[in-house]
Amino acid sequence: MKRFSSSALAHGLLWQLIGTLFGAGLITGIRAIMGLELTAKFFFTEPAWVLGGFIGAISFLFGSGVTSDWVKWARGIDTPEHHEEHYSGWEKFVNVSLDHKVIGIQYTIVALALICIGGTFAMIFRTELAASQLQFLTTDLNLFGQNGPQIYNTLMSLHGMIMIVSILLGISGIINYVVPLLLGAQDMAFPRLNAFSFWIAVPAAVLLLSSLVLGGFDTGWTGYPPLSSRAPVGVQMFFMGVFVAGWSSILGSLNVIVTVLRMRAKGMNAMRMPIFVWAAIATSIIAMTATQFIGLAFQLVLFQRLLGMGFFDPAKGGNPVLFQHLFWFYSHPAVYVFILPGLGVISELLPVFVRKPLFGYRWIAMSSLGIALVGFVVWAHHMFTSGMNEYLRVPFMYSTLLVAIPTGVKFFSWVATIWQGKITTPTPMLFVLGGIIVFLLGGLSGPPNATVSTDLHLHDTYFIVGHFHDTIFGGFVFPFFAALYYWFPKATGRRMNETLGKIHFWLMTPSFLIMTFGMMYVGLLGMRRRIVDYDPALGLDTSHLVLTICGFGIAISVAIFLYNFFNSIKNGEKAEGNLWNSRSPEWQVPSPMPMHNYDQPFEVVGEPYDYGLEGSQYVKFSSAPAKSKHK
Amino acid sequence: MRHFVAVGIWVIVLAVLTYAGINASGLATQMNPVVASTQAVSIDSLWHGEMVVLSFLFALIVAPITYSLVVFRRRKGETGEGVHFEGNTSLEIGWTVAPLVLVVVFAYWGAYSLGETRRVDPNALVINVKAQQFTWTFEYPEYGIISKELHLPVNQQVVLKMQSADVIHSFWVPEFRVKQDVVPGRVTEYRITPSLVGDYKVRCSELCGTSHAYMESPVIVNEIADYDAWIAEQKVIAEEAGKTPEGQGQLLTVKNGCVGCHSIDGTPLTGPTWLNLYGAEVELTDGTTVLADDAYIAQSILEPNAAVVKDYPSPSLMPVFALTDEDIANITAYIKTLK
Amino acid sequence: MSHTQDKSSALGQGVVVFVYLAILSVLEYFVAVAFDATSILIVVAVVKAALVMYYFMHIYKLNEESDGDEHSYAYKTGTNRIGLWLFLLSDGFVFAGLLVMRSNLLGLTRPPLNQLLGLGVTSVLLISSFFMNRGETALAYGDVKAFMRNTMITFILGLGFLLGVVLVEWRLAAHEGLIASFGNPAVGPVGAVFYMMTGMHAFHVLTGLIFLAVVWNNARKGLYTAEKHYPAEAAAVYWHFVDLVWIFFYPALYLIGKAIAI
Ligand code: HEA
Ligand code: HEA
Ligand code: HEC
Ligand code: CUA
Ligand SMILES: [Cu+2]
Repeated sequence: MKRFSSSALAHGLLWQLIGTLFGAGLITGIRAIMGLELTAKFFFTEPAWVLGGFIGAISFLFGSGVTSDWVKWARGIDTPEHHEEHYSGWEKFVNVSLDHKVIGIQYTIVALALICIGGTFAMIFRTELAASQLQFLTTDLNLFGQNGPQIYNTLMSLHGMIMIVSILLGISGIINYVVPLLLGAQDMAFPRLNAFSFWIAVPAAVLLLSSLVLGGFDTGWTGYPPLSSRAPVGVQMFFMGVFVAGWSSILGSLNVIVTVLRMRAKGMNAMRMPIFVWAAIATSIIAMTATQFIGLAFQLVLFQRLLGMGFFDPAKGGNPVLFQHLFWFYSHPAVYVFILPGLGVISELLPVFVRKPLFGYRWIAMSSLGIALVGFVVWAHHMFTSGMNEYLRVPFMYSTLLVAIPTGVKFFSWVATIWQGKITTPTPMLFVLGGIIVFLLGGLSGPPNATVSTDLHLHDTYFIVGHFHDTIFGGFVFPFFAALYYWFPKATGRRMNETLGKIHFWLMTPSFLIMTFGMMYVGLLGMRRRIVDYDPALGLDTSHLVLTICGFGIAISVAIFLYNFFNSIKNGEKAEGNLWNSRSPEWQVPSPMPMHNYDQPFEVVGEPYDYGLEGSQYVKFSSAPAKSKHK
Repeated sequence: MRHFVAVGIWVIVLAVLTYAGINASGLATQMNPVVASTQAVSIDSLWHGEMVVLSFLFALIVAPITYSLVVFRRRKGETGEGVHFEGNTSLEIGWTVAPLVLVVVFAYWGAYSLGETRRVDPNALVINVKAQQFTWTFEYPEYGIISKELHLPVNQQVVLKMQSADVIHSFWVPEFRVKQDVVPGRVTEYRITPSLVGDYKVRCSELCGTSHAYMESPVIVNEIADYDAWIAEQKVIAEEAGKTPEGQGQLLTVKNGCVGCHSIDGTPLTGPTWLNLYGAEVELTDGTTVLADDAYIAQSILEPNAAVVKDYPSPSLMPVFALTDEDIANITAYIKTLK
Repeated sequence: MSHTQDKSSALGQGVVVFVYLAILSVLEYFVAVAFDATSILIVVAVVKAALVMYYFMHIYKLNEESDGDEHSYAYKTGTNRIGLWLFLLSDGFVFAGLLVMRSNLLGLTRPPLNQLLGLGVTSVLLISSFFMNRGETALAYGDVKAFMRNTMITFILGLGFLLGVVLVEWRLAAHEGLIASFGNPAVGPVGAVFYMMTGMHAFHVLTGLIFLAVVWNNARKGLYTAEKHYPAEAAAVYWHFVDLVWIFFYPALYLIGKAIAI
């Protein structure tokens, strides 16, 4: 306990609290001088909460010590190039580490924690939805100053945003852990920035969650004004949480791109990089640029609320639809941020388990970039009914449908990869296959949304909810689990239990498929999104009950996974060799991975996926001591 | 070769099975709720076409994967690797171009269908719609009628000119298929030609606050004769009501959407019921009680936050209504009658 | 091309580029005052931006081959350069978003601001960029003293710009009726757009000033040499970036379109 309370995490959280109170107190003091109101429903006034939240997040960073090297640099003090690890065991993960492997695991753990929190919220509101009428989120309920339907809206909105943040952290986790290993680098290009990108996500999560007790926000994760400009203070915490998490994403992506450009092993030219690296690049390009738009959009609403600036307020000459453009300019490309790494994991793992080269490497690599780039020009497909300029709907329909082409290239290439392989199906491969099929369902439910006239019916119904749970699970959740099962031995030297892994898969997949099919079904029948209660006359009670039961099925399977995960760290079967018989460089050295990665540098001498080619080799380790050369 | 023939058959079988499955759940030939507008016809036919193509595409991917999993799985004791081939450019080009063609077809189809739903009839009947948290109000400008129900004549195009008083709402009647947001600060248009007599509901489909789920109002499609009768009846009611203060007050409460939150029969909605309100002692959040007289009602309308009723969230959910003294007097007169 | 010249011609190049930029700015001003030519203004801004990116921010250095040891200062500098430019690209999206907002809400109108004052603050920022470039060039030839002197001038001019915008321009704008009162921008989109854009830019100027102060102080401590001075270079590039943003914001706020009467 003592060791925890002196950790960077504990210090950071303490300082965040102090910073928040300080900031809020400061504003309250200023207001006292100006003779304004000092307290409001949630004790402090809104400006006080906003400044408090902001200073709190900054205090966290200074308090946790992740910025201390930079402060030293600014004062002209040099710091050692290589940061040695001061901690061991679990303590490594609650303190600042500059090692990309530790940071990758930190990201992953936080992502899992957020999935659990977001998932628990989903289970709460799914239970409410199990039957029509209000069950327990009734209007007389009063929790955190919100009545039942309001709590529903808050939970639903938080579920959406927390899950999205957890995806962003989850992909950062995998990318951070794996990319330097695949490239043969000792670390990321900017290790301190890397640590900063992770630690900034922690206060962001705290900010997001704090909105729950500050009146919540009933706007959905999209936060459209004017509703969000009228919501309780909680919405400000939500805005700031997303803004801060956005910086994590931006800086992390920047680091990935530079790492790939500058840190590759000798001989690893663009077309010999493991395919996952291409996916990481494509994702990072989007995350690094487009994220600024959601930050800006939320900032504008934040200022509109604080200072009455009428950006989106029609009464003051503003334009509510402008917000939607700014928001979706990020949030559409963001959905490709979620999936590209996942699809990269699928492409990376498939050859290993079918013992065949990846079919059409170049095409798959380019399709990632293609999805990323086309993804920038499709955003208005979320706004077909929004009252934006009518004539824009047709070009956006075309561009949206175009994404099907590079995505299709991936699917067809995977099929060709599997064809005539020697297929084995251990747990990671099961999740890869599950991911392919689930993502296919999600992807194929995209074109009906994209063709404008059908979207007029589908928009804002559970059909859309079904569509995106399919794409997100297929493109992120399934591959994420595949990656965890696959690289777990690399990180720990032990493997996760196969039986539990298979139970996890065989419980989650059918539950999930029934759940999303059910969502699409009720959506077509007239079930709107974001409603706490539905008209019994629609006759959807049975379907919703099934949906809820399947939701619990997923939750149980995740609980089994969590048990397996944490139990295997200590008790898993030892697996120190090349467990999956992979050609990838990280599997050529014993697990767990040593502190500064490869003891000897390697050189790329062949194609990455030449399974089945007699005598071929991907990497060759030189016997020279560890001072890897560039190129 | 044997494998290709086998998988080809399996693709076709699976495609048919997929389509049959979708059809069995009732989702293939139409987007399920009954078709009640001409616009829905073209939308549903596009949907049906998509279901056919998508069933095939689904099978095209899933069939070879499942086939491989069975036929090419590594058998017990087997070692060795898969067949070594790295790619095939003409295949890649093929499966880039074929979907491109499909995309163009889809997009053409989509644009065509959109055009169908937007076809303008110059003689369309104009109805003004006002959306606010959490009610719909319909105004028939030609007749001076204001109603909480939307009555439409069958087979006659109507255009709804929609405005919002507060946040974004969205007008959706599932049976009509079409949906359109109602955005504050502008007038959006919703064009529909009802084709089937019946009772439907408009369901607000853009999250607009706590009671978004309950923002539903009846939409009634009538035969022309019944519709005309309803109009005539409403005209009389409106004229009659306009003669007395409480009648005017009632019209005002409909026009301003008060009745979306306040029931007149005791059911609790977003706001307290008005039944037996006048003259009662009202408990407030701050613990005090106040007599519901003319002044209190006027204050409740002009400054909802000044006195919030016990058990209701503060700040009040009720928007400020800047009504004239005369209007308020009329509304008060109306509330007085609710015993 | 230019990185092999000697010191005086490098400094001379700075002067020439500065003169071009100044001429373009004046031209821009007169074009805007004389006729309504948005497209010309955009072209001029793009040309100015290109000049700044190439000659002041040395974008070509991204392409410099720094082969050899991964742990050498030169190699790491190359890595850092890419990192910084990617950051600027990302940050550029914020400003692009603000320009989108401006064109959506204001279209071909502009806030009723004093155009001469705009030209004034723009010149101050431009001159500061000139001195920044001189300082950096001097440092590249090992002249730390000159670097400190020029950075100090840059700092003072930058501070002048910041105060000019926040204390003079914001106050004047309040008088013009863009907002209800100083500190309460609760009026229509014109005021909102103006304060948001200038505010976001001013925030970047502020961070730039802090950055300049830090490198000035470290230069004083003797941490920089002709070969090793990447932080100073980064501060300079960042400062020019802030200028670059203003190259677009200035016409967007002061020149393009008709002034709205409030
Ligand atoms: C991981 C996330 C993810 C992914 C990958 C996608 C992928 C796609 N999405 Fe989805 N989408 C979301 C997440 C995602 N989406 C979310 C979260 C929302 C809701 C946001 C909210 O409102 O809260 C949403 C909403 C959404 C809408 C708005 C609906 C509405 O609110 O009205 C639309 C409309 O066009 C759309 C379309 C598409 C399309 C065309 C694709 C395409 O990229 C799919 C491409 C893939 C395939 C088509 C399958 C494989 C291809 C082939 C086998 C080749 C041959 C196929 C053809 C020629 C068709 N999506
Ligand atoms: C990563 C993304 C992600 C994930 C994984 C999920 C997972 C789930 N989601 Fe989804 N969802 C979204 C992203 C996601 N969702 C988004 C973006 C929205 C839109 C929000 C909006 O409209 O604004 C949405 C909206 C949404 C809705 C629509 C709400 C509405 O419109 O009113 C529904 C309804 O059924 C739903 C259900 C579920 C369910 C049942 C799961 C299940 O899979 C969850 C399973 C449960 C777990 C994974 C948790 C496991 C928990 C434990 C094991 C217990 C341990 C707990 C602790 C230690 C605390 N979600
Ligand atoms: C969005 C919902 C909403 C609308 C629309 C609305 N009200 Fe209310 N109203 C409320 C709520 C909630 C309360 C209780 C809280 C309060 O006192 O402010 C309330 C309280 C009142 C009261 C006091 C009732 C009592 O029991 O003491 C009166 C009178 C009233 N409203 C009149 C009106 C009139 C007249 C209109 C239309 C012109 C109207 N309301 C429209 C939500 C609404
Ligand atoms: Cu109105 Cu939802
Ligand atoms: Cu999208």
